[in-house]
Amino acid sequence: MTTAATITPKAGWFANAMSGYGKMPLWMQSATNATLGMTILLVLWWIGGLLIASNPDTEAFANFAPGPTLVSLWHLIESGTLWETIYSSLYRIIIGLFWGIVIGVPVGVLVGYFLNFRQVANMPFQFLRMISPLAWMPIAVLAFETWDQAIIFLLAMATVWPIIFGTAHGVQRIDPNWFRVAKNLGADGYQMLRRVIMPAIAQDVFAGIRLAIGVAWVVLVPAEYLGVTSGLGYAINDARDTLDYDKLAAIVVVIGVIGYLLDFIAMKLIKRYSWHVE
Amino acid sequence: MSASNIWISDLTHYYNKKQKSPTLDNINLSIPKGQLTALIGRSGCGKSTLLQMMAGLLFPSDGAVRINGQTIVKPSAKWNMMFQKPSLYPWMTVRENAALGLVFAGTYKEKADRVEELLDMVGLKEHKDKNVQQLSGGQQQRVALARSLATEPEILLLDEPFSALDAFTRTALQTEVAQICHDQNITMVLVTHDIEEAVAMADKVIIMSHNPGKIVGEKDIPLHYPRDRSSKDFATLKEELFAEFEKIDLEKQRELEAMAS
Ligand SMILES: Nc1ncnc2c1ncn2[C@@H]1O[C@H](COP(=O)(O)OP(=O)(O)O)[C@@H](O)[C@H]1O
Ligand SMILES: [Mg+2]
Repeated sequence: MTTAATITPKAGWFANAMSGYGKMPLWMQSATNATLGMTILLVLWWIGGLLIASNPDTEAFANFAPGPTLVSLWHLIESGTLWETIYSSLYRIIIGLFWGIVIGVPVGVLVGYFLNFRQVANMPFQFLRMISPLAWMPIAVLAFETWDQAIIFLLAMATVWPIIFGTAHGVQRIDPNWFRVAKNLGADGYQMLRRVIMPAIAQDVFAGIRLAIGVAWVVLVPAEYLGVTSGLGYAINDARDTLDYDKLAAIVVVIGVIGYLLDFIAMKLIKRYSWHVE
Repeated sequence: MSASNIWISDLTHYYNKKQKSPTLDNINLSIPKGQLTALIGRSGCGKSTLLQMMAGLLFPSDGAVRINGQTIVKPSAKWNMMFQKPSLYPWMTVRENAALGLVFAGTYKEKADRVEELLDMVGLKEHKDKNVQQLSGGQQQRVALARSLATEPEILLLDEPFSALDAFTRTALQTEVAQICHDQNITMVLVTHDIEEAVAMADKVIIMSHNPGKIVGEKDIPLHYPRDRSSKDFATLKEELFAEFEKIDLEKQRELEAMAS
C-alpha cells in the first residue's frame, strides 16, 4: 500500500531532533554521546561542590569543586611538578608490568598447554589471585631493600594473574591443526613461535595486560601512600596532610585521565592483534 | 623400484601395544612418479594413518616408507599434505596464507610471483587481500591448495580434502586438482571414501579393508584428463569399482562374522 507511506505522522520537535540524531554518522554520534557523558559528570561534580560548600559541616572542603581543582591542575602543569610525579608512578607501573609479563606469559603458556600443569596450578593460582596485592606489603617490605622495589613487587603481584589467565586462554584456543600444517610446510621451532603461536595468542595476552593495567593502576595509589616520597599516591597523601584539597582533587583528575589513557592504549593493542572477524 | 616415487614395504602399525589386531597390517605399495593414486576404504581402515606416514607426520611401528629411495625422517614442504579442513591462519590475508611455505623456506621474495599466479589459477584473483575468514568453505580450500602448491611439491597428499564442500564446488575442485597434478607431473595420493571421486581423479585406485587395515585390491582407471563424468566409460568404471569394493567388503564382513561365531 503506497497510500500509507505518504501520510507523514505529526512529530513533535523532540522526535524530530531524535530522528536527526539517529541519522548522524556513527563517529559523530559516539563523539556526541561521549561529550554528553563527560558533561553529566562535570555537572554532578559541580553540584556536589555546591552542596559541600553550602553545608557548614563540610564547608572546609569546598575546594573539591571543579573551579578550584582545575585552577590547581593548571598550576601543577605550569610549575612542572606534575610531570615528575607522573613519571615516578608510570615508571613503577611499567617495571611492575614488565615483571608481570616476563613471568605471566611463560607460565600462562604452560598452564594453557599442559593439562597436568593446569590441574596442578588451578587451585593455588585462584587462591593467590584473590589475595589483595596490598596484603603482600609486609612481606615486600621485609624482602626488598627499598620502598620502590617493594611497590614494584606489589604491582608485579597484581599484574601477573590476569596475564597468566589471559595467555592460558589464548593458548587453549589454538587449533592443533595449525601446528600440523605449519610443520608440514617446513616450519622450524622459531618460525612456529613467531608465525603461529605468537599471533594466535597475542590478542588474549593483550586482553590480560589490559586487565592487569587496570588492577595495577588501582593498587598503585594506596601502595604509594607507604614509604615513598614521589608519585601520585604520595602526592594525594601529601595534599591531604597540607589541607590542599584543590590539589588533591587535581591529582585525582590526573589519575583518572592517565588510567583512561593506559586503558585506551591497551584496548588499541587488543584491536590491532585481534583476528576475529565479527 | 627406481622409478617409484613413494615406496612402502612391510609396513605394520599399532597405535598402542594392547591392540589385538594392527591398525595397518603388512602394507606393500609402490607409487611411480606422477601417478595419481586413490586410497579407498571404509572409515577407520587406516587410510589417514597411512597418508600421515607418507607425510612424515607419523612413523610406523615396523617397516619402511621411502620417498625417492630415502627413508622419511621428518615432514617436508616437498611432500605436502592437504587436510579435510583448510586450517588457514585467520590472522593472515589470503596471500599471506598461500605464501607461508615460501616464507618458512625463506624464498618468498624471489618467488612472490608464483603465489600470485597460483591464486589466479585457483580463482582467487579478486580476493588476495581479504582476510581468509571472509571466504566461503570452497574458497578457503582453494587457498589451502595454493598454499600446498606454492612450495612446488613433488608429492601432494590429500586427506578427504573436499568432503566438507557442497557438491558443485567439490566436483569443480576434483577436476581442477587432478588436472594440476597431471599437468605438473605431481605424484598425488588421495584418501577418500567416495568412489566417484576416486574415478574422477585417480589413475589407479587401491582398495583397503578394515580390521586390520590391509590392501586388498586395486584397479586402473585408464581415462584421459579432463575426465567427462557423463561419458559411458566413466559410468562403467565407476560401476566396476563399486562392484569390486562391494565384493571385497562382503567377504570381509563374512570373515568377521565367522571369526565371531
Ligand atoms: N592417534 C590415534 N591414536 C589411537 N588410535 C587411532 C589414532 N588415530 C586413529 N586411530 C585409530 O586407527 C584406526 C584407523 O584410523 P584412520 O587412519 O583415521 O582411518 P581412516 O582415515 O581410514 O578413517 C581407527 O580405528 C582409529 O580409531
Ligand atoms: Mg581419515
